[in-house]
Amino acid sequence: MTEVLFFIEVVVAGLLAGTMYSLVALGFVLIYKASSTFNFAQGAMVFFAVLAFVGFMELGLPFSLAFVVTVLLMVLVGFCTERMVLNPLMNQSEDTLLMATIGLGFVLEGLAQAAWGVEVRRLDLGIGDFPIEWIIDVFGLFVSALDLTAGIVAAVLIIGLALIFKYTRMGLGLRAVADDPGAASSIGIPLKNIMLLVWSAAGVVALVAGMMWGARAGVQFALVDLALKALPVLIIGGFSSIPGAIIGGLIIGATEKVLEVYLGPFFGGAIEGWAPYVLAIFFLLYRPEGLFGEKIIRRV
Amino acid sequence: MTGNSENILEINSIEVMYDSVISALHDVSLNVPKGKIVALLGGNGAGKSTTLKAISTMLAAERGKVTKGSINYDGIEVKNQSPYEMVALGMVQVLEGRRCFGHLTVEENIIAGAYSRKLSKSQIKDELEKIYGYFNRLRDRRKSQAGFTSGGEQQMIAVARAMMAKPKMLLLDEPSMGLAPQLVAEIFNIVRELNQKEGVSILLAEQNTNVALRNADYGYIIETGHVMLHGTADELLNDEKVKELYLGISQEGRKNFRDVLREEANKKSA
Repeated sequence: MTEVLFFIEVVVAGLLAGTMYSLVALGFVLIYKASSTFNFAQGAMVFFAVLAFVGFMELGLPFSLAFVVTVLLMVLVGFCTERMVLNPLMNQSEDTLLMATIGLGFVLEGLAQAAWGVEVRRLDLGIGDFPIEWIIDVFGLFVSALDLTAGIVAAVLIIGLALIFKYTRMGLGLRAVADDPGAASSIGIPLKNIMLLVWSAAGVVALVAGMMWGARAGVQFALVDLALKALPVLIIGGFSSIPGAIIGGLIIGATEKVLEVYLGPFFGGAIEGWAPYVLAIFFLLYRPEGLFGEKIIRRV
Repeated sequence: MTGNSENILEINSIEVMYDSVISALHDVSLNVPKGKIVALLGGNGAGKSTTLKAISTMLAAERGKVTKGSINYDGIEVKNQSPYEMVALGMVQVLEGRRCFGHLTVEENIIAGAYSRKLSKSQIKDELEKIYGYFNRLRDRRKSQAGFTSGGEQQMIAVARAMMAKPKMLLLDEPSMGLAPQLVAEIFNIVRELNQKEGVSILLAEQNTNVALRNADYGYIIETGHVMLHGTADELLNDEKVKELYLGISQEGRKNFRDVLREEANKKSA
């Protein structure tokens, strides 16, 4: 019985961690759908956002104000990206755009470190990484409060974004652009504004993910690589599918935890870092379009 | 012909290049009188789509550029405007191949057409009702995902969506493509109705010469980027060359293109 409970604990922890992957992958999907570009700068955006947030807190801003200021900063980053990188490169090949996002990533990493320094910061969200007592009492499961918070925050953000896309004018424009940018532009949907919306949303998503991961592992450069775990998530879920990003994230989260716990010891541990990529390779071999993808992945 | 206020659109000998090297149009001139339907006819690769995209400024998205000549729409010189600005000026293009938003419902597709007008919810509802008046078939399918509707319905969605932008001028690129004859007739009836009741001027590119000329007021025939022939729809329908080459009718009965070429060759050698 305890074996089963332990397994459930591992899966739950994995799923909760997976929601964060889902969220970051969602940022990728939005940009991919709107501009057919895999945004390699997403990892740098996570790092940039949370480092700025911690920096503002160190300057003495209260939590909520620092959050709002960082959100505005990320919108500004989105705006500058659209005006200075994407717009001038509009109608260029996808490879050109891909290279541009890689370059943008380096610029953001550099800017963040130039502004706030390179040392690892602690980020205290006031939520500990320890089990919640009432869940132990009721279900007999050990579930980390930080995992649960991250899961709930990610779920709320995903639902919020989904509602915006479904029910607002901007959201309709975004879905239209995602389906067919050429047709959207032919009926007068301004691609520029939609791009701005998409990059801002990706920026906010990056900030939230950075805060959750930063609270656990410290605010440091390694967050860039953590965010790139969205890549296997997208390979599994499909690059152009929002539900795919969500479910892909959950699958990656759960399997990496399960593999880490049950198979990790045979490999000397720490297989979490690469196991998702192995899973992704299996998907590339047997189902290259992903679970929900609309077409074969040709890019990246 | 320039400066004629009777024409909503005047194109003066434009040349179009793709990627600065591939020349797609050489010398195309045409006029669209206000409130009329003009057909742009020709085979594959003749330059019909390129002409329409030059007008709607959608060319830039394909790295194409108007390198010579001028386009004058409603008193405005069309130069570096974005497609977004052209829609705001009342010029909307229905792209070749319909290009519906497959994941959106039929109604969402149509509403997306009003994006540039920033209407209130109730205004959108009124406009939708008006549009459904022309496209009855779409009313029944309003909740369906556009990607799962038939080709004819998708063509209707594309035209309805464009009409939601309240255009003064509509550019239609091959509305008959891949559709059964009765559907083509249905769509052209709607197009004519829109032209008459809404007063929208229409330039339509078609390979289906017969249907296009029966519904248009005027026609231009282009081949490999040049205007070969133009005239009123009746003139073109009765023109012997048009009959032979584009309508497949001749005095000695049906002929194919090879026969015509052979005859021409015979005439030359004789």
